[in-house]
Amino acid sequence: MNGEAAASASRRLNGAVGMAVFIGACAMLFAALLFAYAVVRSQAAAWPPPGTPPFPRGAAAANGLLLIAAGFALRRARIRGPAWLAVGLGLAAVFLLMQASLWGRLVAGHLGPGTGALGDAFFALSAFHALHVLGGLVAISVLLRRRVPGETRLRRLRLATIYMDFVAVVWLIIYVAVCLL
Amino acid sequence: MRLDVPRDVSLDGHLVDGVLGYLTLCTGIAFAVLVVVLAVTLLFHRARASRPHAHHTHGDSLRARLLTFGVGLILFVAIDVTLAVRASGHLHEHFWNYPDADPSALRVEVTARQWSWTFRTAGPDARFGTPDDVVTLGELHVPVGRPVYLKLRSKDVVHSLYLPNFRTKIDAIPGSTTKLWFQAQEAGRTEIGCAQHCGVSHYKMRGWLIASPEDEYRGWLARAETDSRLRYDPADTVAQQEGWEW
Amino acid sequence: MRRIFSTDHKVIGKQFLFLRLAFLAVGGVMAMLIRWQLARPGQPVPIVGRLLFPGAGGVISPAAYTSLFTMHGTIMIFFAVTPILIGGFGNFCVPLLIGARDMAFPRLNMASFWVMAAATATLTASFFVPLGAAQAGWTAYATLSTAIGAPGPGQTMWTVAIYLNGVSTVMGAVNYITTVVRLRAPGMSWFRLPLTVWGFFLTSILNALFVPVIAAAMALLFFDRVFGTQFFIAGTTMRAGGDPILYQHLFWLFGHPEVYILILPAWGIVSDLLSFFARKPAFGYRVTVWALIGVVILSCVVYGHHMFTTGMSPLLGESFMLLTMIISVPTSLLFLNWLGTLWRGALRMTTPMLFCVGLVFTFGIGGLTGLYLADIVADQYLHDTYFVVGHFHLIMAAALLMASFAATYFWFPKMFGRMMSERLGKLHFWPTFLALNVVFIGQLAIGWAGMQRRLYDPSAYDFLKHLLPWNVWISRAAYVLGLSQLVFVWNFFASLRRGKPAPANPWEVGTLEWTLPSPPPHHNFEEIPTVVRGPHELGHPDARARGKDWLGQDEVLS
Repeated sequence: MNGEAAASASRRLNGAVGMAVFIGACAMLFAALLFAYAVVRSQAAAWPPPGTPPFPRGAAAANGLLLIAAGFALRRARIRGPAWLAVGLGLAAVFLLMQASLWGRLVAGHLGPGTGALGDAFFALSAFHALHVLGGLVAISVLLRRRVPGETRLRRLRLATIYMDFVAVVWLIIYVAVCLL
Repeated sequence: MRLDVPRDVSLDGHLVDGVLGYLTLCTGIAFAVLVVVLAVTLLFHRARASRPHAHHTHGDSLRARLLTFGVGLILFVAIDVTLAVRASGHLHEHFWNYPDADPSALRVEVTARQWSWTFRTAGPDARFGTPDDVVTLGELHVPVGRPVYLKLRSKDVVHSLYLPNFRTKIDAIPGSTTKLWFQAQEAGRTEIGCAQHCGVSHYKMRGWLIASPEDEYRGWLARAETDSRLRYDPADTVAQQEGWEW
Repeated sequence: MRRIFSTDHKVIGKQFLFLRLAFLAVGGVMAMLIRWQLARPGQPVPIVGRLLFPGAGGVISPAAYTSLFTMHGTIMIFFAVTPILIGGFGNFCVPLLIGARDMAFPRLNMASFWVMAAATATLTASFFVPLGAAQAGWTAYATLSTAIGAPGPGQTMWTVAIYLNGVSTVMGAVNYITTVVRLRAPGMSWFRLPLTVWGFFLTSILNALFVPVIAAAMALLFFDRVFGTQFFIAGTTMRAGGDPILYQHLFWLFGHPEVYILILPAWGIVSDLLSFFARKPAFGYRVTVWALIGVVILSCVVYGHHMFTTGMSPLLGESFMLLTMIISVPTSLLFLNWLGTLWRGALRMTTPMLFCVGLVFTFGIGGLTGLYLADIVADQYLHDTYFVVGHFHLIMAAALLMASFAATYFWFPKMFGRMMSERLGKLHFWPTFLALNVVFIGQLAIGWAGMQRRLYDPSAYDFLKHLLPWNVWISRAAYVLGLSQLVFVWNFFASLRRGKPAPANPWEVGTLEWTLPSPPPHHNFEEIPTVVRGPHELGHPDARARGKDWLGQDEVLS
């Protein structure tokens, strides 16, 4: 029993170290994208650039809340079981759908990529963010499979919640940097 | 097989050559020592029947570390620190000492594009953007003995104005302005090259720098200005380039 | 199927090795073509010319030439050398060297190979699209690499290929870091790790931090090309935009650590192998480790030396100059320790040792020439000349190539259970080493004479016309270099089939992989070993008492 517990603790730490490195790498990616945004913004004569339509902050904020809710649902799943896992995944999926709809709205409203610096920045940052959410979705949905043993599922769920928290924080930073500031 | 370094015709090019020479001396000595040490080990420290065992040491004694750090420090001070100080001096006193306040400096606006260089000097009115501006394609005329102050921009991609006989170069970047200054010390024609990959004809993006004695230069400038004024067409906005504040 | 999608690190390592050696050959052939054009401008390439350049009658056109040097650089850096050392040898060796059964995340490992394969396929496909493959240099500076300078899907596919390559690399970095942090055998403390492991570990940290930066650059370039954004295209008052220099900052923020990512495994491997074949411990092991860590930290803040001619602020420029020069301190310590290892050794001049000594030599020259480029005054003349080309080829091509060969000759017995021919190994080494030096020192010379990089035909400039004989001789040496590799290919494949069966420990050294049969079984160690000493206990008096001159890392003395 001792050996098994030690092996399980060891696997947990492996996952934690791996996830830490992965999140560090993702953080560098977003840092670089934000740096590019900062440079574009610092070189602009005025911000937002003249002629930029107003940005739908409310819609963007609402989407963010969906993501935060998804994170909470995943945390609950650790205590209450796989049903909440499905809820969390569902919320994240809805987030992606709402983002897609937001992009559609932006393109129609002359705020898409290529229309101006604000559109460029928001699109680049949110597209990458969405890709990371999607990746997380795919990875976590694997956990829904019944063949995954409970202990493994719990361990991976822990890592998944950390990742989704990170993704939510990144959204917060993007929102503040692009939509509020 | 000759290996000719381009002839230095500039005021400050010798500073570059001096730095290169010092570097070669220092790195040459360091490399020679390296080769000697390697040769000694390869010749005399091989495993032989008479000497089958190595000298067992981890090299982590205080003496070993002091030796290693000592040599490293000497190399650093002798080479790196002296180079950095010397380079800094050269840069601040010469290469980065732009003749903004010097009224005798010849000001030239350079436009780089795929795949040619255009040069524009203000006419006798000393203002850019007037009918007496002289624009030349591929040829930069300068007087000998006076500073020449260039400001550069690019129409399309990043280029780099390279003056091998002046030991210098500066990039031309779309969307911003860069600057360079130099002074010719002898008359003659030297080449201008492009030193940043800019497309398929990058290798042909060549120009000529023609340095003439002052009076010859003024003669050329007068003829060129007359030409410009005669050809000036106020309706041809395409031919007129926007200048910028000096 | 199970074999192709194996999660065994030894199989994945070999998969990387084979695929990447193939692309090393592709990159090498491209180099031969570039050298042909420089030696005989405008003349049709013999034998393969009409096949490769049918539209131009076998002549390399300027457009084809720009593609050649672009893809040569891209393939060599991203698709050959890095993955050979890190994906190939890192994968095979690291778990064995630390006493583990496999990597921390075997399935992630397998995925990283297949993502790399997808990146490779994307890059290869880009040759066959309209307007051809990327042509903006491996550095792909904006705005040449945006739609302004490079229309056509080839450049876009290039950005995707680099991005996917980056994804694979980060997956690998996650794996290596976790494996080294978590899976070391009992007793394998940090300062008992073979320096090879330190090399792979530190390189993975740099990979994890900086590959995402180039991924961001590629992503933004992709957006600029495909979605019309303007991150790297200067804006106007009405349409705010970005800056081409932003691309350079992002690129070199990654690009400079990248060269250390390339060399750190080589440094680690050479540090170990010099010790093994000098039959004495690595001189100054701890100082070496701290020097490597110092290089890693400094490598993050020196990247501006690639941009000295962009007109950056004097303060920024001088800071980069100073920091770049400081990085020569840990590097010189590393070097001195190598010499200390060799000094008063009992050298065994085997093929791996020859390549290691060769690396010390070429890295010596190459590293010293870096000082020229660190100095802004010298760099304003030498930037974008062949001096730079000679410098980085000496360090990257020559040193890395020799490290890769040393690693191959050294670990081949463990990987494949057979010995490579020593005779053929030496026949491979000498022309390779001599030719490398002629080619790249020759390039230093013509760079000093002012010849720029990436010129289709240098004789377009009067001041370069006299350098044609130099280019001819450099090209001849390059052909010798290329042909000599055939000896290696022959040796490799012939030894796979008919090499002498390898004992468990043909080199008589103490690191853990040599305690296993050659090749090791699937699960590596029957029992995880307990480590009692460092990896370089050679020539130890305790060993001599037992009738040999080395002690194993897990060898308990009764």
